[in-house]
Parts: sequence; C-alpha cells; structure tokens
Amino acid sequence: MPDPTIAQSSTHDIVVSGQGVGKTFADGSVIALQDAHFNIKRGSFVSLVGPSGCGKSTLLRLISGLIPPTSGEIAVHGTPVTGPRADISMMFQKATLLDWRTAIENVLLPTEINGTPTKADKNRAFDLLKLVGLEDFAFSFPAQLSGGMQQRVALARLLQTGADILLLDEPFGALDEFTREHLNMELMRIVQEVGATAFFVTHNIAEAIFLADQVVVMTSRPGRMAKIVDVDLERPRPLSIQTSVEFNKLVEDVRETLGEM
Amino acid sequence: MAVQDAIPAPQAVEDTAGTVRRKRILRHAGIFLTLILMWEFGSRIGWLDPLFYPRPSNIMRSFWLIYFQNGNVWYHLYATMSLVFLGWIGGSILGIGLGSLVGFNSVLRRFLKPYVIVLEATPRIAVAPLLIAALGFGASSKIAIIVLVCFFAPFINTLSGVMNVDEDRLELFRSMRASKMQVLRKLVLPDAVPIIMAGERLALTAALSGALVAEFIQRDEGIGSLILVYTRNLNMASAFACIFTLTILGFLIFKGMEKIDFYVAFWKYEGGRERVSAKRRAAMEGPDHA
Repeated sequence: MPDPTIAQSSTHDIVVSGQGVGKTFADGSVIALQDAHFNIKRGSFVSLVGPSGCGKSTLLRLISGLIPPTSGEIAVHGTPVTGPRADISMMFQKATLLDWRTAIENVLLPTEINGTPTKADKNRAFDLLKLVGLEDFAFSFPAQLSGGMQQRVALARLLQTGADILLLDEPFGALDEFTREHLNMELMRIVQEVGATAFFVTHNIAEAIFLADQVVVMTSRPGRMAKIVDVDLERPRPLSIQTSVEFNKLVEDVRETLGEM
Repeated sequence: MAVQDAIPAPQAVEDTAGTVRRKRILRHAGIFLTLILMWEFGSRIGWLDPLFYPRPSNIMRSFWLIYFQNGNVWYHLYATMSLVFLGWIGGSILGIGLGSLVGFNSVLRRFLKPYVIVLEATPRIAVAPLLIAALGFGASSKIAIIVLVCFFAPFINTLSGVMNVDEDRLELFRSMRASKMQVLRKLVLPDAVPIIMAGERLALTAALSGALVAEFIQRDEGIGSLILVYTRNLNMASAFACIFTLTILGFLIFKGMEKIDFYVAFWKYEGGRERVSAKRRAAMEGPDHA
C-alpha cells in the first residue's frame, strides 16, 4: 500500500493533520473509518471520493469536531480538534437555510451567533452574496429561490464565518447536472479567491478530480483511505479539461483503486 | 378548418368559466332560499312545531330585538368574548410553556408522559363541576375551565414542533458553536411557529366551547346563559338568534386566526414573504446601501 501522506514539504504549511484516525459506531461493531493518516497543506483543495459507506462523510465530521474519533487524533493549525471551532466551517448537501430569514439574514447567521453584526459584517455579507452571484436576491426568502440559488446562499454563509478550512459534504449533490457543474466552477474560483483549504466529499470521480489538488480515494467495509492521488492540472481549469488525456489517466487511476475496472 | 375548431378562442374559455361560476352561486343561493322558504311555510301550515322550530322570519325579528331594539345581547356577547380571550391566552401560555419545557427536557418528558396520556384520554370538560366546586362561582372558575379545555392543542403542537427539529439544521448550529439558548431562539422556536399557530387555532375554537359549557353551568351571564334563559322561556326564536350569533363568532375567529397566521408565520405565504421582504430591504438598505 502506498504511504497515504500528502505533501510533506514543510510542517508550517500543514493546516490539517490526522494520525491513525478511526471511528466505530454502534458499540464498536460498525467500523466507519480505520487508521487514517493525512497531512493537508494550506490552500489545498482535497476531494474525498468513494462508494457509500467508505467513511468520507465520517472523516469530514471528525475534522469538523462534530463527532470525536474513537482512536487517533486530528489536529488543525497545530491544536487537537476537540469540538466545533471557529477556523472550520461546514456545508451540507441540504442548504439548511432558515425559511424565516432572507438570504442576507441567513448569511449573517454565523456572525449573529458570535455577537451582534456590525455594519462591516453586513457589508461583508452583501459582498459574499455578490461573490456567489446573488446580489439581486439579498432580500428574498429561501422559498423564493431555486435549489441552486439556495446552495449559493449556503456557500456565502459558509464564507461569512471567516473560517479558512471549508468542509463541503456533497454540497451540490441534490442539484441537476448543469447547475452542479456551474456551481463547481464557481466554487473553485471562490475557494481560490479567498485562499481557503477545502475538503470536498463526492461520489463522482470526474468531479473529484476536476476540483482537487489531491483526491483521497476511499474504500468501504471497513472505511479507509486507500490512496491519495495528486492532481497536477494547471489552474484555472476549463470544463473541457475533462476530455484531456492527463485527466482521463487520473480517472483510470482512481477507478483502479476503487476496483471498478 | 379542423385545427381551428379544436382550439376554442381564449375569450370563449373565460366566458364559460365565468358563467359556470355564476351558475354555481345561483344554484347555491336557490337551494338555500328554498330550504328557508320550506322551513317558513312548513312552520306556518303546521308541519313543523313552531314552538321548537321558530319561523325564519321570527328568528330575524329576534335578531333585531336582541341586537337593536332591546340591545341586551351586547352585554352577554362581551362577557363571553372576554372569557374566551382570557382563557385562550392563559391556555396558550400554559400550553406553549409546558410544551417547550417538556420538549427540551427528556427526563421531564419521560416522567410526564403517562400523565399526558391520562389527561388526553379524559374528557376535560368533565372536570368543570369540580373546578367550580374548588374555585367557587365567578369568572375565575370559568376561566380555569377554558384554560383546561384549550391548553392541550398548543401543548401537543409545541411539543411536536420543538422535538421535530431538522437534524441537519441542528448540526449546522452545532458546527457554528451556538449556545443552547441560541439554538432555541434562532432555530427551534421560529421553526415551530407554524405548527404552534395551528394549535392556537384549535385552542381558540375549543375556548369558545369551553366558555359556553362554563356559562351553561353557572348561568349568570354570557351567550351560554342567554341561550338557557331563552330556551327555558320557550323563546326559541331568540335562542336560535344566539346560536347563529355563535356561528358568526366562530367564523370570525377562524378568519381572524388565518389573518394572524399570515403575519406571524409569514414565510409560508407568497404574499407574506413579499411583504416582509420589501420591509426588510427598506430597513437594511435605506441608510447603508442607497
């Protein structure tokens, strides 16, 4: 098995690391994740890909601090993760917007949780809505927005937290193909623009490679990290890159690891 | 041409729809009038005993009497409505308060569950005489009866609203490190507003029934006592006028609650969203983002 350790250039550059991370559910009878090691560099876009039950969502929730690991340790910015923290922000497959709040009020929610929003916070929220292309819908309620627009609001809310580590659990998985492709492009642009480190869970191999600097390939029963594939395609990436030879070599590599070929 | 024949002109479609509607309204009015006239004449020629089934014309006269000529109904209407209102407010505070308390505290929930089931199975109106015995005649025992009758719907609805919070949203709040109080104020309670409002609607209707029962027992004032007095004096026309007054009251309560729901749970309604959206835009954009 190849050593699943990513980019060990300098320890200062490592923002998220895991040592022997494991998680079991139901009194130890279900092994969701086994012995995961990883070091993620600042500003990387990491895709987690694999079949259902491979522990990719579990890994994300472990990093977020929403659930504690059964074994091993995860560290973010050099300190162990013991619970949800300010430098990590998470986005889900469902937009999870609050129906009684306008788009801008939804974006401001994380700021409100931390205190009273200032004028600067409000301006920032407006700017983020502009960044996701929704400046004309700041005062619309979720019921007045399409599914794709709702996820854009959720993305703006994710960025409003100011966290530099973004955890995205199949954020566009419930949307149609065209909207998803479009939002993936936007996501890539935005993450690069704000210079965040992103973890992106998906079960779509092409999507995983297209977005990422590193693809973590995961297999199930028990869930574990099988391989980490470096994606050295130049940025910005046009959609057409998916038909290139290099791209398809990477797809083959991931497929082989997953045992689908 | 065959194709043109198959597609009727839009104007024709509209006319047909309007005609259908007009015909339906006319038919309903016709049936209603026929029934009233049958009642009137049945009563006049002796098919219906006018003692128990007063003529519609007499009921109309009684309406005029109790509302305008004597004007005695107003006092009782006011008495009943204030009872309903006070009892409903009390029942709501008790129901929503207890519902959120039990919803949030799983220990309390386990402890209280059997009592809730017992209370649900017992017709609460049966307790009314006991309440009067304990609290004496007067407004306080009447209000207590109404509170008891109407607190249950808000209680159950608040409980289920508070307990059925979306897991993903809860996780979102946890990931943002929200305090318990913030989760309650910013997520759980607003989320439960529509279902609590549905409970409030039931409670208000129940409060009206509760008030009538309380007045039937105490017979001092209110529409309930008025109905008793008129029936005892065999003044059935006036009793019917009181009953129809209650029909109108019930309808107004229903409409009023619909209106309140439109404002309180505005995000459920297209019109409500548009109204609040414009308001929030004005509030936020005015000075800062002109």
